[in-house]
Amino acid sequence: MTEQLRQPVPPFKAGPGAVPVAGTGVPGLASAGSSRRWRSPEGRKTWSVRFSPVLAFWLAIVMVLILPIGAFLLAAFSPRLLGQGDEWFTLSAFSAAFKGTLLQALADSTALGLVAAAVAVGVSLALAWLVVRTDAPGRKIWTGAVFALLLTPSYLLSMGWQRLLEPSGVLAVAGIDCSWARDIYYGPVGIALILSIKGIPFGFLAISAAMRGLGSEFDDAVRVHGGTFIDSLRVTVSLLGPAVWAALAIVFAESVSDYGVASTLSSTSHFPVATYAIFDAVEAFPVRFPVAAAVSWMLLGLIAVALLLQSMALKGRSYRVLGGRSRSGRTLSLTRPWKAAAGGFLTVLILIALGVPAFGAVSASMIDGLGSLQSDHPLSLTNYDHALHSPNLLGPLVFSTQMALITATAAAVLALLCARMLAARSLTVSAKVLDFILLAAIALPGIVFAAGYIFTYNLPVTAALNIHLYGTASLLVLAYVASALPSTTRLLAGSMSQLQESMREASRAHGSGPVWTWLSVVLPVLARPILSAWLLTFSGTILELPISQLLYPPGSPPVAVGINQALGTYDFGGGTAVEVLAVAFSLAVIGLASLIFRLATPAGWRKTGPQS
Amino acid sequence: MKLKNKSAMIAVTAMAAGAALTLSACGGQAAGTAVGQASSTATGAAGSDQAPFVLYSAMGYDAPVVKAFTAATGIQVKLVDDSTGPLLTKIAAEKNNPQWTAFWADGDTAFASLDQQGQLLPYTPAAPYTPAGQSVVPGDHSYIPTGVTTVPAVIYNAAKTSAVPTSLADLSGSEYTGKVGMNDPSQSGPTYPLIAGVMNQLGGVDQGKKMFSDLKSNGMKVYPTNGDTLHALETGQIQYGMIQSSAALAEVLKVKPTADFQPKVASLSASTLLPGVFGIDKNAPATAQEQAKKFADFVLSPAGQEAMKNGNPDGDSLFWPIISGITPAAGVPSFPAGYQHIDPFAWGPRQADIVSWFDSNIK
Repeated sequence: MTEQLRQPVPPFKAGPGAVPVAGTGVPGLASAGSSRRWRSPEGRKTWSVRFSPVLAFWLAIVMVLILPIGAFLLAAFSPRLLGQGDEWFTLSAFSAAFKGTLLQALADSTALGLVAAAVAVGVSLALAWLVVRTDAPGRKIWTGAVFALLLTPSYLLSMGWQRLLEPSGVLAVAGIDCSWARDIYYGPVGIALILSIKGIPFGFLAISAAMRGLGSEFDDAVRVHGGTFIDSLRVTVSLLGPAVWAALAIVFAESVSDYGVASTLSSTSHFPVATYAIFDAVEAFPVRFPVAAAVSWMLLGLIAVALLLQSMALKGRSYRVLGGRSRSGRTLSLTRPWKAAAGGFLTVLILIALGVPAFGAVSASMIDGLGSLQSDHPLSLTNYDHALHSPNLLGPLVFSTQMALITATAAAVLALLCARMLAARSLTVSAKVLDFILLAAIALPGIVFAAGYIFTYNLPVTAALNIHLYGTASLLVLAYVASALPSTTRLLAGSMSQLQESMREASRAHGSGPVWTWLSVVLPVLARPILSAWLLTFSGTILELPISQLLYPPGSPPVAVGINQALGTYDFGGGTAVEVLAVAFSLAVIGLASLIFRLATPAGWRKTGPQS
Repeated sequence: MKLKNKSAMIAVTAMAAGAALTLSACGGQAAGTAVGQASSTATGAAGSDQAPFVLYSAMGYDAPVVKAFTAATGIQVKLVDDSTGPLLTKIAAEKNNPQWTAFWADGDTAFASLDQQGQLLPYTPAAPYTPAGQSVVPGDHSYIPTGVTTVPAVIYNAAKTSAVPTSLADLSGSEYTGKVGMNDPSQSGPTYPLIAGVMNQLGGVDQGKKMFSDLKSNGMKVYPTNGDTLHALETGQIQYGMIQSSAALAEVLKVKPTADFQPKVASLSASTLLPGVFGIDKNAPATAQEQAKKFADFVLSPAGQEAMKNGNPDGDSLFWPIISGITPAAGVPSFPAGYQHIDPFAWGPRQADIVSWFDSNIK
């Protein structure tokens, strides 16, 4: 593009007397995205706006996030606008939503969210430190285990515990009285346990990525000044502030918006949570979108409070620890007793988080009648044989893999942009708006999010304009991307906020262009977090159910829908076998991606700072 | 960051994201495997370049039936197969611009509601209904019954108990204390008709509420869906489960009886008919509507009924046919002598209130 072509076109034919106003147009590439003010010879001011990448970015955010979320939330006030009632404006949905136990449910959700966030982030901190900074045994296994956990649907998590604890369950068959544990599990403690376990991968990925970017110079400084190991740990945790808060925000939002646990364990335990009210309004007949939207406003209120707390905690501080002089953190060599303790901790964690659901899956898919009153429990691979020939597995799994690959790539790229905005030293108004929108997207359960997509992209006016996105794979991917963007962004924001501007500035001072600077300075440092974000999105997408159910193209069911169909026809063994195979396949893809990253990238990309 | 850096970075990354998203358009259409899957054009007798016949279905045997229909007629069907709840959510969300041609699911209260909203196209198939079938055909022919199951079927463990209930009142007696389970009407489609049927049979909503309150006082437990209630029965948490007849029969057929577990099904004095129902969208394109009518005719034909009976042998195929001359699948007992059909147009509008009451007082 020539300089001449990059000049903005005035809205009128600029006469010889027309002059650009100083400060509103930057020559070169910068002006490609700027609006430019012109003054006519008569002194009349007018504006000309041309294509801007920033504008395109915001347009994308509006299309994939703001419009669908806004459309859904609008149903609370104007049902008629969306064909959901007769009133153009009403508050009746709020009075309907506040019937019964909703206030109790909101309080329960808040408490569960706080507990799950605290537990998951506390465990994630310890876990990240052991994996990144020590030579604890089994630490390498954990990175893979995180993705296995991310892939494990809450159905399998709760089923594993149920199989252990239920009457005539495995422990009962083994002669162990576990009625006390059963009573605890079927209640708030059990729900908090499942939500905490589901939150660990988010916390671990966010914190470990930031911890890798934290050099050893801070440890050294503390120790030189006479600080103890605890002091050093305190400084480390402080410097991880953005990542820790990002993790807290994600886990809190994921927990209060969790739909799977709400519709299963919470319902069985008679412990009301806010998302159950949404479930009740959206998935039970008659469908009441306005009521679901009213409850969603309450959830957004909770998220707004979480964001406010995060903002207050981080205000006015800088966490830019990644610079040209950063040294990679030292690996702490643990003494034997500490090694044993660390190994024990990791083992127990893997057993609780993965062992129990894995057992549940195996018992459901390989041993017919385990835990039941049927006397013989033959070990059989029949369900797997059926699953391999099932129309619910292979085709849908290929389709879901394609969708997940595209989604992960697009979401990682867009999340980088969002994270860059959120990691700015002082947040602009637009960045704060973006921050809230992203967290709001987590707060809304997938199914209402998907309903918002239908409201937005299935309007008669879009059909009249010959825009037929609804019912296509493209819209499904857009919705996947939108739902993945919040957590992916927060994962990257923690690492992005550690980057010092001086690195980029030094590169530019030495003559590099902005793109090359980004590719040669920023990308290598963020390569691992980007990989984590990509894998997080892939894992979260491949077995996603609520959005898939409402938006999948006719004739192309994703694998989660296929699994749901198998379970819906009382084929629990077959359905679970399909689920296990899908999880195993996804793990294989994740392993392959990690291997390619390891083989194809320079050593410096895999380890921040100079190689020792 | 200076503007020019930001703009350049955003331009590059936005292009990359755009490229990735663009790929989805090609990547997404090649992998479908549902039977009867069509391209955007149907290739029936009417030729090409017409609106597709899109079937939203929650029936376990829908895919084999669609396959048989396509084989018989050459008409392609775009099948959206899911549970009733998500499909009704989808239909409600699409209200401004419906994308479905026909909807097929168990239970007629939702169809009565769609009819009251003016969303259904009346159609009267030529198939000869049995008396039971005629009892579930709506007066305005706005939807088409395709078969029936009943609620509640009481499944019990004959290895652990000898008491066999003959009425719902029996289950509130001391012999059944703490031994009875049922589904949650907010999660299980067939359960609201069960509750409404009880209320209808006992003479009103209040009488029904008292019956369920008595059952709760007697220790009745509530589980999310048919599968969960059956699992509770298998593990000895309950001895009696009130569920849909097809789910109960499937359990009896599937399980090999042992000394500790012998599932059997008891019919109560008056079961409520739960029809499988097919409805056509009034606003669908005419060509798609015609194909949907042909599909309805096929479903009610001997070939279609055979496909329904064989399509999901461990589940929804265990229904009672309501077309004269058609016998049920193997393992399905004779049609219950005493049955009732509740008026879906009367009971449908009460569903939200009754389910809400159940949620607050019985769960």
